[in-house]
Amino acid sequence: MKTLVATLILSVMLSTVVSMAKDKQSVLLKVADDPTISFRILFNSGSQNDPSGKEGLAALTAAIIAEGSTKNHTYEEILALLYPMAADVSEQVDKEMTVFSGRTHRDNLDEFYALVKEILIEPAFTEADFNRVKKDRLNYVQTTLRYSQDEELGKESLYEFVFTGTPYGHNEEGHVKSLSSITLDDVKEFYRTHYTRENVVVGLGGGFDSEFAEQVRDDFEGLPAGEVAAVPAPHAKAIDGVQVEIVEKDTKSTAISFGFPIDVERGSRDYYALAIAISWLGEHRSSFSHLYQVIREERGLNYGDYAYIEHFPYGYARNFPPANVARRQQIFQIWIRPVPNETRVFAFRAALRELQNVVENGMSQADFELTRKFLKGYTLHYAPTTMMKLGYALDDRYYGIEEGHWALFAKMLDELTLEDVNAALKKHLGYENLKAVFITPDAEGLKKALVNNDPSPITYASDKPAGVLEEDRSIVRYPLKVKPENVRIVKIEEVFEG
Amino acid sequence: MRLFLLSWAVVMLSGFTAVAGSAAKRFFPYPYENHTLKNGFKSILIPMKGSGLVAYYTVVRTGSRDEWEPGKSGFAHFFEHMMFRGTQKYPASAYNRLVAEMGAEANAFTSDDLTCYYMVIPTLKLETAMDLESDRFQNLSYEEAPFRTEAGAVYGEYRKNLSSPMRLANETLLNTTFDKHTYRHTTMGFEQDIKDMPNMYEYSKTFFNRYYRPENCVLLVVGDFDPAAAKPMIEKYYGGWQPGYVPPQITAEPPQDGERKIDVTFEGRTLPLVWIAYKGDAFDPSDKMVVSAYLLGDLAFGENSEISKKLAIREQKVESIDGDFGFSRDPKLYDVYSRVKDENDIAYVIGEIDKTAEAFRTTPVSREDLEKTKKRSRYSYLMSLDTPDRVGSVLSRIVTLTGGIEAVDQFYATMAELTPEDIQAAAQKYLRKERRTVLVLKGAKS
Repeated sequence: MKTLVATLILSVMLSTVVSMAKDKQSVLLKVADDPTISFRILFNSGSQNDPSGKEGLAALTAAIIAEGSTKNHTYEEILALLYPMAADVSEQVDKEMTVFSGRTHRDNLDEFYALVKEILIEPAFTEADFNRVKKDRLNYVQTTLRYSQDEELGKESLYEFVFTGTPYGHNEEGHVKSLSSITLDDVKEFYRTHYTRENVVVGLGGGFDSEFAEQVRDDFEGLPAGEVAAVPAPHAKAIDGVQVEIVEKDTKSTAISFGFPIDVERGSRDYYALAIAISWLGEHRSSFSHLYQVIREERGLNYGDYAYIEHFPYGYARNFPPANVARRQQIFQIWIRPVPNETRVFAFRAALRELQNVVENGMSQADFELTRKFLKGYTLHYAPTTMMKLGYALDDRYYGIEEGHWALFAKMLDELTLEDVNAALKKHLGYENLKAVFITPDAEGLKKALVNNDPSPITYASDKPAGVLEEDRSIVRYPLKVKPENVRIVKIEEVFEG
Repeated sequence: MRLFLLSWAVVMLSGFTAVAGSAAKRFFPYPYENHTLKNGFKSILIPMKGSGLVAYYTVVRTGSRDEWEPGKSGFAHFFEHMMFRGTQKYPASAYNRLVAEMGAEANAFTSDDLTCYYMVIPTLKLETAMDLESDRFQNLSYEEAPFRTEAGAVYGEYRKNLSSPMRLANETLLNTTFDKHTYRHTTMGFEQDIKDMPNMYEYSKTFFNRYYRPENCVLLVVGDFDPAAAKPMIEKYYGGWQPGYVPPQITAEPPQDGERKIDVTFEGRTLPLVWIAYKGDAFDPSDKMVVSAYLLGDLAFGENSEISKKLAIREQKVESIDGDFGFSRDPKLYDVYSRVKDENDIAYVIGEIDKTAEAFRTTPVSREDLEKTKKRSRYSYLMSLDTPDRVGSVLSRIVTLTGGIEAVDQFYATMAELTPEDIQAAAQKYLRKERRTVLVLKGAKS
C-alpha cells in the first residue's frame, strides 16, 4: 500500500504526454508518471454492420463479451477477479465502431491484462450469458428508453427519423422485434466475422512500457484473419420542409429535438468554423449557450437548451461527449430540454428563430471574439484524463487528423476569421428543411397548432424586461410552415418496436 | 463519497493558520495545506503540477438537510441557481462574460448535506476566479423579477426528472421513513414548495444571510498553482467577509418503531424496484461501526456479493442488486436496491435479502473477502483522484461532513484495522427489520 500511495502522488504529472505512436493497428499514448494504464480496444464495426432484421446485433455481441464468461472463467469468476482491483471492462457501441475500455493501477497490470485478453479473444458465448444480457437489453428498449428517459428517447427517435433507409437508420440497441429474433448463433457469427485482426485497433495509454505494448499487439495479432465488408456511407436523404414526428405519450412536459444531416467532418476547416458558431449558439450544459440564455435564463421555460454538430449520446448524464462515437455523417441538432406542455410550440419557435438569426445574420464580431476566448480555455476540459486523450487519439486516427484534433482546434481558433465562421454557417446550416421530434401528450392538438401556424401566446410568473416582451411578439407568430402530410404521430408503444 | 459530522472547531487566530498533514500516516496521496482566516473562512490548498488547470471548489456546508422550516423544502438547491444572478460589481451579464472569457467549466450542485460551486480554469486565471467567487459569496444581489424567472428554471429541472421512476421512489421512501428530520424531503423539495418558490423573494435574503457565511464555507483549490501566491490572494478577497452563521434548527429523528412498508405505482412502464432502507448512523471516520457498515454494504449486496451472483447471474431474477451504505452528516440510510425482472418474484427477492442479512448477522465474513473489499475501496478511491477537478469533486463531500480532508486518512486508518467480527457487529446493529423501510415500486403498465 505504501507503494501505491507513493506512485499515485506522481499522478500530478498526468498531462505530460511522452510519446504517441500510431499505426494501422494500434495507438500508443505514453504518459509520464501515470501510475495507471488505460486500455481502449477498438473494432471498426458497429450498428451499421447489423444484418437487416437483426438490428442490435453488434451491441448485443459486445455486451455479452463485456458481461459474459470466457473459456477459462465464468462471468462470476471474472467479477471476483476484477473486484479487488477496482477495475472493469466496459463496452460502447456506436454506428461505426465498438470499443472496450478499462483502466487499472500498474500494481495490477498483469492480472488485469490477462483478463482483458481473455474477455476479448476467448469469449465463451454461453446460452445463460446470452439469455441474461439479451433480456436486459430488451428491457432497456421496451421499458427504460420508452418510459423513463424522455430526453434520450427524443434524440434517438430523431436520429432514426433523419437517417431512415440508411445503415445509420436504427438505434444501436435495436428494436424489440429485431432484438428478439437474434440467436446465440447470430452472435457467434458476428463475433467471427468482425472481431478479426484486420478490424482491431489496440489503444493503450498511461504508464506502460514498450515491451508490454508489443505483447498486447502480438496477442491481438492472434485474432483470426478476416476483412470486414465495407458498409456504404449513410447519405441521409435531403429533407423537404419541416417534417415532424410526434411521439404521443402521457407526460407532464415535452421533450423536443430537431435537426438535419450535415456533411462536415472533424478535421476540416469548416468543421472548426462551425464548431465556434455552435459553441456560441448552444455549448452543451453551459450557460454560455445562447439558446440557454434565451429559453432558460431570460424566460425560465426549462433546464437548458443546446446545439450540436456531432453525436453526443446520453447528454443528460454527461458534461462532455464520449470519445469513439466517430461517424461518416453527422447531424446538426438542437436539444430543448422538457418544457411545460403549454409552451411546447413557443419553445420550438424560439429555437427556430434563433437558428434563422444566426444562419442569416451570422455571429457578431463581439460574440465571435468572446467565443474564441471561451473555447481557448474550455477545450482544455474535454480530455483531461489519459483515458479520454487515448479516445481522442483513436478518433484522430479514424478521421486522419495527423496533428491531433485538439491541437488543430487550438490552431484554428487563431486562424479562423468571423467571415470564415459566417460563411460556414450559411453553407452548411439552414432553418427551413429539418426534422423535429416531440415527446408529448395530445398529439393531434400539437399537429393542429403546428399545421395551422396558430400563434403561441405566452405568460410568465414574473415581470419581464421590455426587450424580452418585444422579442416574444415576434416568437409568438414566427412562421412554422408545417404541411399536414409532413406530420406523423407515433404511439409510444410503437417506438423501437418493429 | 458521502459524509459525516465531526464538530469542526473554527480557530479564530490572527492571520493564517497553516496545517500541513504529516506524511507518515497519510493515505491521501497529495500534499496539502489548510488555512483559516480570522473570520473563520477555511481554505485547503492542494498543488498538482502539470495540467495547467486549477479546480476552484467552494463548499457551502448547507444542503437540503438545513431546510427545517415548513414550506421551504428545495430552497438550498433553488438558492444555488440564484448565486448565478450577479452582484453590484459584477451583474449576471458581466459575471457570465468573465467566466466565458476564462474558458471556465463552471457549475454547481446541491445535495442533502452541501451546496458546492466549482470552476475549472486555466492557472493564469486564478485571481480572476477568486475575485468573482469571493464577490458573489459576499455581495449577491438580485431583483424580484429574475428571482421569479429562476423559479421557473428550477421547476423545469424538476420536470425533466418526472419521467424517472427513481425520482418517485426516492421522494416516497424519504417521506415514509423519516418523521421529523429534514432528510424526509429530497434535495429538489416537495413539488408544492417548488411551485411556491416564486413567492419567496424575501426569504431568499434571509437564507443567504444565515448560511452564506465564512465560517460555514470551505474553499478547495486544487491543481497547477503556487500556494504561496494564493494565500495573500485569499486574505485580500475573503478577509473582509463578515461572519454570522446561524445554524439550522433540525429536529433529530427518533428511533424507528418497527418495519415500514410502502407500495408505489409509477404512471408508466418500469421494471419493479425493491428498495430497502435501513436507518444508519452519521459519518464518523474513526468509528469502527460506521466504517464497517460502509464495507458491509458492498460485501453483502455489492456486485461481487453472493446474493448478486445468485439473483442477477445464476437465477436471472433481477437485473441488478446493489448496496449503498453511504455517509451523511446526520444519521440517514443504508440502502439496498434491486430492479426485479418479474413482479411475481418480488417477495422472493425480499426473502433473499432477509436471508443475506441473517447470514451476515450470524456468520463472520472470511478474512480474505474482507481484505479484498478493503483493497477495492483503496484502489477505487485513489484511482478517482486523477485530475484537479476530480480531486475537488471527491473531496467536496468529505469537506462538508467534517470541515476538512483529514477524515480521508482517518477513514482508511480505521478501515485497515477492521476484522470480520467488526463487520458482523455492524450487520447485527443495522440489518434489522425494525430499522428498515421496504419500498416496492411497480409500473402502472406492464
